Amino acid sequence: MRGRRTGRRGDLRTVSGMNTLNLRIEKEIAIIEFDQPDSKVNVLNTDTMRELDGAIDGILGKPEIKALLIVSKKAGIFIAGADIKEIEHITSADDAREKAENGKAVLDKISNSGLVTVAVINGVCLGGGLELALACKYRVAGFSDAVKLGLPEVKLGIIPGFGGTQRLPRIAGLTRGLNMILSGEMISGRDALKCGLVDRLFPEVRLIENSVALARGILQKTIRTGRKEKKKLFLVLLEDTPFGRALLFSQARKNVLQKTKGFYPASLKALEVIRRTYGKDFKAGSRIESEAFGELAVTDVSKNLIKVFYLNEEFKKLPWIAADIKPDKINKCGILGAGVMGGGIAQLVSFYDIPSRLKDINYEALKSALKTAKGLFDYALKKRILKRHQVDYKMGLISPTTTYRGFENTGIVIEAVVEDLNIKQKVFTELSRIVPPTTVLASNTSSLPIINIAQAAEYPERAVGLHFFNPVHRMPLVEVIRSERSSDRALATTIAFARRIGKVVIVVKDVPGFLINRILLSYMNEAGFLFEEGMDIRRIDRIARGFGMPMGPVELIDEVGIDVGYKVAKILESSYGPRMRVAPILEKVKEKGLLGKKSKAGFYLHKGREKEPNPAIFGLVGPSGSGHISDETALKRMIYIMVNEAARCLEEKVADRPQTVDIGMIMGTGFPPFRAGLLRYADSVGAGNIVKDLEVFEKGLGALRFKPCNYLIDIRDKMGGFYGTV
Amino acid sequence: MGRIAIVEGVRTPFVKAWTLFEDIPAQRLGAICVRELLEMTHLDPDLADEVIFGAVAQPVEASNVARVISLYAGIPKDKRAYTVSRNCASGFESITSALEKIRCGLDEIVVSGGTESMSNIPLIFGKDITKIFTRLNRAKDLAEKIKLFSQMRPHHFKPVAGIALGLTDPVCGLNMGQTAEVLAKEFGITREEQDGFSLMSHKRAISGRMKLREEIVPVMTGRDYNIVVEDDNGPRENQTIEALSRLKPYFERHTGTVTVGNSCQVTDGACAVLVMDEEKAKAMGYEPLGYIRAYSYIGLEPHKMGLGPVYAIPGVLKKAGLKLKDMDLVEINEAFAAQVLACIKALDSKKFAEENFNTSEPVGRIDIEKLNVNGGAIALGHPVGVSGSRLVLTLLKEMKRRNARFGLASLCVGGGQGGAVILER
Repeated sequence: MRGRRTGRRGDLRTVSGMNTLNLRIEKEIAIIEFDQPDSKVNVLNTDTMRELDGAIDGILGKPEIKALLIVSKKAGIFIAGADIKEIEHITSADDAREKAENGKAVLDKISNSGLVTVAVINGVCLGGGLELALACKYRVAGFSDAVKLGLPEVKLGIIPGFGGTQRLPRIAGLTRGLNMILSGEMISGRDALKCGLVDRLFPEVRLIENSVALARGILQKTIRTGRKEKKKLFLVLLEDTPFGRALLFSQARKNVLQKTKGFYPASLKALEVIRRTYGKDFKAGSRIESEAFGELAVTDVSKNLIKVFYLNEEFKKLPWIAADIKPDKINKCGILGAGVMGGGIAQLVSFYDIPSRLKDINYEALKSALKTAKGLFDYALKKRILKRHQVDYKMGLISPTTTYRGFENTGIVIEAVVEDLNIKQKVFTELSRIVPPTTVLASNTSSLPIINIAQAAEYPERAVGLHFFNPVHRMPLVEVIRSERSSDRALATTIAFARRIGKVVIVVKDVPGFLINRILLSYMNEAGFLFEEGMDIRRIDRIARGFGMPMGPVELIDEVGIDVGYKVAKILESSYGPRMRVAPILEKVKEKGLLGKKSKAGFYLHKGREKEPNPAIFGLVGPSGSGHISDETALKRMIYIMVNEAARCLEEKVADRPQTVDIGMIMGTGFPPFRAGLLRYADSVGAGNIVKDLEVFEKGLGALRFKPCNYLIDIRDKMGGFYGTV
Repeated sequence: MGRIAIVEGVRTPFVKAWTLFEDIPAQRLGAICVRELLEMTHLDPDLADEVIFGAVAQPVEASNVARVISLYAGIPKDKRAYTVSRNCASGFESITSALEKIRCGLDEIVVSGGTESMSNIPLIFGKDITKIFTRLNRAKDLAEKIKLFSQMRPHHFKPVAGIALGLTDPVCGLNMGQTAEVLAKEFGITREEQDGFSLMSHKRAISGRMKLREEIVPVMTGRDYNIVVEDDNGPRENQTIEALSRLKPYFERHTGTVTVGNSCQVTDGACAVLVMDEEKAKAMGYEPLGYIRAYSYIGLEPHKMGLGPVYAIPGVLKKAGLKLKDMDLVEINEAFAAQVLACIKALDSKKFAEENFNTSEPVGRIDIEKLNVNGGAIALGHPVGVSGSRLVLTLLKEMKRRNARFGLASLCVGGGQGGAVILER
């Protein structure tokens, strides 16, 4: 580190020589400016904290300084948090605990300094950044939408370690503090002002100027601060009485368990820390926080969640196509096929202010789509994601029609008509005669080869697959499918469009089932076999959910629709051969007219939110095989068959690398992120173990589907993993 | 510069006020039309220079309704928009203003039209109680508030129908129906004649239903979009002269002949047309519906506003260099049967020409077979700010069907004006 040099004397003295921080002094006010070199954001890593420590020491050594402002020179960013890379590399709980203690020591210097300290929040203020701001006596923020405050540590499997669990509930109130820490959610500058987390809001252009004036005013006692509104009686009862607090904590615990199903220890730990320390000695509470931070930082869950975080960030911008191929800008999106899918896509597109022209053959179908879209917007209204005037505007961007008029100037058309090759081909032919050659034609088919549909259109190179997952507004994944004729330009345009509507994109090969359904169906199919061998469907589902899958395979089949599932399974069987043999029970259930949730009866009988096994299915299986299957075996069969299929997909280059499989499974099916992905999980088990078990199943059941594929065997032989050597 | 073309147009179904469209505000009705117009003409919203919309009662929550419509329809925020009001001729004014803007070189492509939601014209608190409320809002202490409260009276709380106020002319003190009664008496139009004319309007609207669908964009409404409105719901299939004759006179109890059955209906609806220079249209590959040959507005005594067309028509014919018999089709807005019939009589009257136009030649005879051939406002309704645009659109569409050359559209205008437009193909 370079030595310090003091600048010229006078009112404005600068101390240079630090890397990230810059210290300015204006008479009695010191200003520490954060500006991390070579980075768009400011993060608190070990070096920066050391610089901060030094700067504070320097300030404390000057008795003429009475106030300290902490500002950022980055546009739209205050401090985005701690350096995740440093957390990722922690291997011992003690190291982690020490890190937390050290960080707190620096921040406590600020809070104990006796100076008027003001954090000037001009943008993103998360994690350690917010903790730094909390250590200041006052916080001010700008009016811009870029201002976001939050403690998102639980999303990475840890808890705030720089005093957040101690300071946030004290400053913003127990309820608000708990909510923010347990959910990791971000709040706006205005909400922060409302709950007292922030003391003032100033216009961007005058943010620092006004903050300096505020500091001076506080020093000269000409400005009064502190809460203007008295705390509501209801909140006083809830937060400041032992009975109320007990209620609050117990309800919070219930909420956390319901959301995380007990798989994510961080939220529970954070809750425990706050429960044990709120209202008690600050120092003791800080130590408890460091202890808990240390324990969590070395858990597999945390390491895995950090891996998934990086994976997600990578795939948000992954360049699938060479950078010199520029995507077309889409000004209007055409959607063919109303109904629930079309309505969901129309709503998604409108949410992002893209006008859409929605066509179906009659008004009955259009009604269904508009109803779906409106329902989704009403939900957003209820959850305060959108305001009424925004919903009115966005809903009006969807223009329904029964003719092709209006498609002539669409940049992309998404085809979501019924899953029938002839109809899709007819539609592509008609469309291609109406739209210019540059319009991308994207099919949402889940089971038909894109090339077959594309060839029905003029200029088939502009046709791609754009496969959404259900429900469209919640599942972040889309598969963009490249047919053997798809042009780079069409792909680039589709990828850019999908990202514009908030989706995570993976590009996969044009094979039956593409990537995700092909893998997922083996899981659902296996459940059929397990049922035929005598397992209770509730047990099957419970075991899968116990692993972390959001839905068990049987309830998933009911959800998707047994006719739909059967149809796709049959297509996969005929494409991939006897190893993908459809479990006979599926056909039997379908023949009986039991279609699943949509007909209120499938494997389960559905009554509102409740379901119970449908007695009608018991008679469909004959006396079964081995009788008792252990939980472990059943789980292995369901999961390893997916691993095997995923390996085949890598072998056949359906997916380009294991990261694509993992992000796809997490974002498209809800595969548990705390396991970091299907193939990361496979690596943690070990290829050797997986192959061994698969061979046992293959022999024991005489089932071709368990035969380990070459790719998997290869990994085993090389003593490696999907992700390089383990 | 070539002629000014009406490239294409579309309207919502016209729906009786306080029925199917009562929950759709005027800005939404207008936006549906404008968006559909852009889709039909596959015009990039970026290319529309200006939106000019007619409206009489603008929604209180959407001032300059044309601007709100423009943004709702997806036209970029940097484009212009303004709302025009020439009472019942607002729908004409939006189109003739567009013509003027284009002729002056200020715009190249204009979206004109009109929108009116008469269902949503508010009920109003009277002036006295409004004053009390306003002062209450500003009152500083309890004593002042109590004093104000004590000034309230029960009769203050009876709301006034804004629509009734709007349809009354403040200068002559008559409402529109009363001006029709003036004409009925002056020209001796009988009750039977009025009812007979109204029956014809309904019959023609019913038989023209399929043709009218060609100019209509269906609107989906209702709680779950489960109501698809494809047709105007004003025309009655089983309208009879007996049913009409049973109605009591509405505007003059004892001596009147004008009833709700032989008056235009109170209606919600909107219409949009695309206006541009002929050469521009051809260059963009469009085949326009027709062109504006001439237009004219005149003023007359407000209490006889119904005669507006009689004064406007000679003017527009002169500007166009044509005679009334050259018109293949005519649309005169049916504000009231008595009013249309009075106009027909006056146009064909030598005495009227002598007294008003200084000539012994009557303006001409309107052939009833060529007048309002697909029904008029008595059956279809008169959303006041829209009708002018509807007349132009429906006239051009019918001219196309018949391969006609010239068409005349004319309106009487509350407040004492008349408007007329001659279209050609």
